[in-house]
Amino acid sequence: MTYFVFLLLVALIVGLIAVASNPTPYFAALGLVVAAGVGCGVLVGCGGSFLSLVLFLIYLGGMLVVFAYSAALAAEPFPEAWGSRSVAGYVSVYFAGVALMAGLLWGGWYEGSWVTIDGLKEFSMLRGDVGGVAMMYSFGGAMLVICAWVLLLTLLVVLELTRGLSRGTLRAV
Amino acid sequence: MNPYVLTVLLSSLGLGTTLTFASSHWLLAWMGLEINTLAIVPLMAQHHHPRAVEATTKYFLTQATAAAMILFASTTNAWITGEWDMNNMSNPIASTMIITALALKIGLAPMHFWMPEVLQGLDLLTGLILSTWQKLAPLALIVQTAQAIDPMLLTALGLTSTLVGGWGGLNQTQLRKILAYSSIAHMGWMLIVLQYAPQLTLLALLTYIFMTSAAFLTLKVSSATKVNTLAVVWSKSPVLTATTALVLLSLGGLPPLTGFMPKWLILQELAKQSLPLTATVMALAALLSLYFYLRLCYAMTLTISPNTTAATTPWRAQTTQASLPLALFTTMALGLLPVSPAIVMLVT
Repeated sequence: MTYFVFLLLVALIVGLIAVASNPTPYFAALGLVVAAGVGCGVLVGCGGSFLSLVLFLIYLGGMLVVFAYSAALAAEPFPEAWGSRSVAGYVSVYFAGVALMAGLLWGGWYEGSWVTIDGLKEFSMLRGDVGGVAMMYSFGGAMLVICAWVLLLTLLVVLELTRGLSRGTLRAV
Repeated sequence: MNPYVLTVLLSSLGLGTTLTFASSHWLLAWMGLEINTLAIVPLMAQHHHPRAVEATTKYFLTQATAAAMILFASTTNAWITGEWDMNNMSNPIASTMIITALALKIGLAPMHFWMPEVLQGLDLLTGLILSTWQKLAPLALIVQTAQAIDPMLLTALGLTSTLVGGWGGLNQTQLRKILAYSSIAHMGWMLIVLQYAPQLTLLALLTYIFMTSAAFLTLKVSSATKVNTLAVVWSKSPVLTATTALVLLSLGGLPPLTGFMPKWLILQELAKQSLPLTATVMALAALLSLYFYLRLCYAMTLTISPNTTAATTPWRAQTTQASLPLALFTTMALGLLPVSPAIVMLVT
């Protein structure tokens, strides 16, 4: 289990490097997909399986897909993937940084055991994440309303910023 | 802008600050700050020209970085100490990161570089909201976490901000950049006394809001954005010519105007805490700021009749701009020094 979560974390770091090294946006969206996917795996390893499913479905399956399509609309004739010179420079620097920090912070065989932690393991019928969702809808009522308002606000902000198509605020100059 | 959208944005600005004021949990405080950032972004970009969009982008990136740092610091604090409460931060790493993030949010030196460029790209009313309302929520968080933060860092931030605000504003010809450096300097004054008397921080904030609102509104009514324009504003509104000079001197901290109150009380508090060197450096840095305020006074007021005037008198129709806020803030920026004891009671 520990080794499996270790693999997922390595994939997470690789995904982060893939995003941070400045390739063309839809390649970076691919890096985001990988990072989000393995992040959901790590979340399962921490005991939040329901949360992980929700994250996969809504974030990866909804928002990231929409973002990837929008980024693909901004396609350019000579896209730069991770092999092209400028991006490969960033990738090598980040890998070197990761290798350096791993070398400095590497523990012995007794460290790094990742066990599934689950609050109230033997004493509760409810899992932590599902119970948390229920609490959010009951005790967290006012904050839920505020979150809904903020979602509406974000929609209006984006609509206001993109109003005018090619004559508006965000246009190709 | 569509009035419904404007209503949603302005009420969200109010919601964000209120949420941060009312919260003791870091997550909720972060939520309030993010709501403020989100809500002001379309207001900043409403005039869809590239300069405004550039300012909006810079503002969004810096504020998002600061908010991410706040989230990082609060989760680090929660991981190490198990405490999400704002008033009990005991971890030095987390508290240093928090103050750095909040300093980036309000534009304290050395994290001030975004402020002049962002203010320059905005129209005067949005710049006013940025300089006054957007400072309230982060300052509330700073005041609440002050005891946990390294005192040397707070003093360094305060001193650097006042000096940078003074020196940076000296070579400027654009009024919005001058007001940006003025904001940086005043934030420095607010931070320097934070660890000794937080009431004086609130007092300095209150008086700063009055004075800078008067300044921004005057410039809006006169449609002046450069120092050169100030030279011909006298003919547009002679009354403003007289009051603006006094408002600028109030910003500079001269008695018997309101701006003297915070500086006097802060210097007194620093002297009581046996910090004469800090107090002297602050006073000298205020002198730097005073120079560019005086330059603006000279350009606007000290070049009028009977000197050779730079403009002819225009037709003066009745103004359609709202004059009550300007009158209100000007009065408060000029006349509050005699009621200092009452104001101090207000913030104690």
